[in-house]
Amino acid sequence: MSNPIVMHDEVPVETTSVDLTTGPEETTPDATIDDEEENIEDNKPPNYKRISDDDLYRHSSQYRFWSFSKERLREKRVNTNKIAADTIYKNILDFKNQQDLTQEQLDVLDARTQPLSVDDELKLINFYAKKVQVISQHLNLPTEIIATSISFFKKFFLENSVMQYDPKSLVHTTIFLACKAENYFISVDSFAKKAKPNREAILKYEFKLLESLKFSLLIHHPYKPLHGFFLDIQNVLHGKVDLNYMGQTYDKCKKKITEAILTDVVYLFTPPQITLAILMIEDEALITKYLELKFSVNSEKKNNDTISFSTLLTIINDCKSFIQEEKSVSTDDARKIAAQNFFCQNPMDLIQRMKRKQPEEETTASPEKKPRVA
Amino acid sequence: MSSSSQFKQLEKLGNGTYATVYKGLNKTTGAYVALKEVKLDSEEGTPSTAIREISLMKELKHENIVRLYDVIHTENKLTLVFEYMDNDLKKYMDSRTVGNSPRGLELNLVKYFQWQLLEGLAFCHENKILHRDLKPQNLLINKKGALKLGDFGLARAFGIPVNTFSSEVVTLWYRAPDVLMGSRTYSTSIDIWSCGCILAEMITGKPLFPGSNDEEQLKLIFETMGTPTEATWPGVSALPKYNPNFPQRLPKDLRMVLQPYCKEPLDDNVIDLLHGLLQLNPDMRLSAKQALHHPWFAEYYQHYTPAPPSS
Repeated sequence: MSNPIVMHDEVPVETTSVDLTTGPEETTPDATIDDEEENIEDNKPPNYKRISDDDLYRHSSQYRFWSFSKERLREKRVNTNKIAADTIYKNILDFKNQQDLTQEQLDVLDARTQPLSVDDELKLINFYAKKVQVISQHLNLPTEIIATSISFFKKFFLENSVMQYDPKSLVHTTIFLACKAENYFISVDSFAKKAKPNREAILKYEFKLLESLKFSLLIHHPYKPLHGFFLDIQNVLHGKVDLNYMGQTYDKCKKKITEAILTDVVYLFTPPQITLAILMIEDEALITKYLELKFSVNSEKKNNDTISFSTLLTIINDCKSFIQEEKSVSTDDARKIAAQNFFCQNPMDLIQRMKRKQPEEETTASPEKKPRVA
Repeated sequence: MSSSSQFKQLEKLGNGTYATVYKGLNKTTGAYVALKEVKLDSEEGTPSTAIREISLMKELKHENIVRLYDVIHTENKLTLVFEYMDNDLKKYMDSRTVGNSPRGLELNLVKYFQWQLLEGLAFCHENKILHRDLKPQNLLINKKGALKLGDFGLARAFGIPVNTFSSEVVTLWYRAPDVLMGSRTYSTSIDIWSCGCILAEMITGKPLFPGSNDEEQLKLIFETMGTPTEATWPGVSALPKYNPNFPQRLPKDLRMVLQPYCKEPLDDNVIDLLHGLLQLNPDMRLSAKQALHHPWFAEYYQHYTPAPPSS
């Protein structure tokens, strides 16, 4: 579904004020600081080079530690998976050697205690990342903190395998740490009361989490660029866009960003690139028009574009397809993977379960009961 | 990743709100470090103040900002390993006091320190980070004349006040008038006000506005800078703690205020810069970047070779 570009020549922009800052977390320090920079242009000394936002972003820990090429991202996952899988193989082998097992038991062990593949692991991580989102929304946390929680959770499992740390046990730890990192005070007890798990469970892996995050806790989300683009779109297409429509689009995009954050785009693209991709998904005609105007105006001045229009479009489309291709993981799939994850770490439970099931075998095809997901 | 055995703990440097700071020796490199020990709370885990400081310091790699090298975890405490600096600006200025009369720094040193202060601050502000607690105690210096901003989110760790433990600890002296009058929309301009106070203090050796409570602090500011009106500062009367009965004062000549305490003649440029930093109306204050382009610093930026932030 694509919205037609809305053009109203008569809209009196000065008198219609649309509040784009829909939430209390939406502050605008960016805009003020940018304005200051504009003013400096005039009286700056000749050899003073302006530091661009790109330079600043490349300096951030998000860029330095958490931005990868697709290949490098895959490599990291393969590596994390392999370390954990090797341990599992070794433990299963030891287990087989220590126990006196029947051929049937050995067969079942071979079939059901394989370490998770990289892709299954990723599915389980994504399933729980979604849980982080749902729980933090349930706790009524501000949008940015929800996004930070998701980001912390995903990064933890880029460095560690779900075969080493049960993703379930990190869900609340990441949300709690995100609140602290974003200066959103919530005491551990009131948090525990609302979020169910006890204090010890929440704090158990806090340092492990900090360490896995390389202590890089300041995250640049696409919400601020979204705000910036919306102001600029209204400026560039002055009088040609319907402000109510723009307000609605803004809200929709904000929601879409919170979904996009669950995908790998956060590692592969910069926050403004993600924002543009989301805007493209929402209203391609409008954003194309905006970008065309933006680039044509800039080319009239001296050529200070750091990137060509076509290159930018390629990047945006690439990012867009990543967001659109993401499929959510079904509870069924997650449950199957979680069961495999459980048994490959606890082969004894599988054997005992077989023994219990033996007498009544074939009579009831009981559904998987353990472990529960959720 | 370091382990705690890598550092030898030496003398205590100071106590902070949530941490104790020791001088430390890196046994492998032989370099001194500052070890900030944070007790882990059995109730809340890592204190959020520590989390905030770590979070900010990880983003701020600049030669005029003290570096966080590492974070070490042992049983029930967290140790933040910081770059070591010999001294802080407060102690350094105190050490120059002769008898009861303070002495300001030589003007070329003042300029060098102020330049570095503004460089570090401009970098913070570019990264959308406010320091919020700039004061001489938080400006760390070394024997080579380098100055670095320290103690983000933790004041006073390095600079336990020498004399008393009272008003100096929660000092108001560097707080902007808009903040004192209850403004909540403050931004980078609050740090700029502090920079102005610090510049004047380096020149004279004594604090510019040493108030002991909010009211007196405002009174001292207005006595020198003049009492703001709607004409000079539109919107001032709407601030929560604005008092229409503030005694009406006219601005004094800053040169007349400072010159008696400074041996060298103060030129127009430094006075003009002070005016730019100490504007009552926060919207009128210079930004850190603008201040760096002020003619007083001409000798620096003319030879300044621009470099993007090093990685």
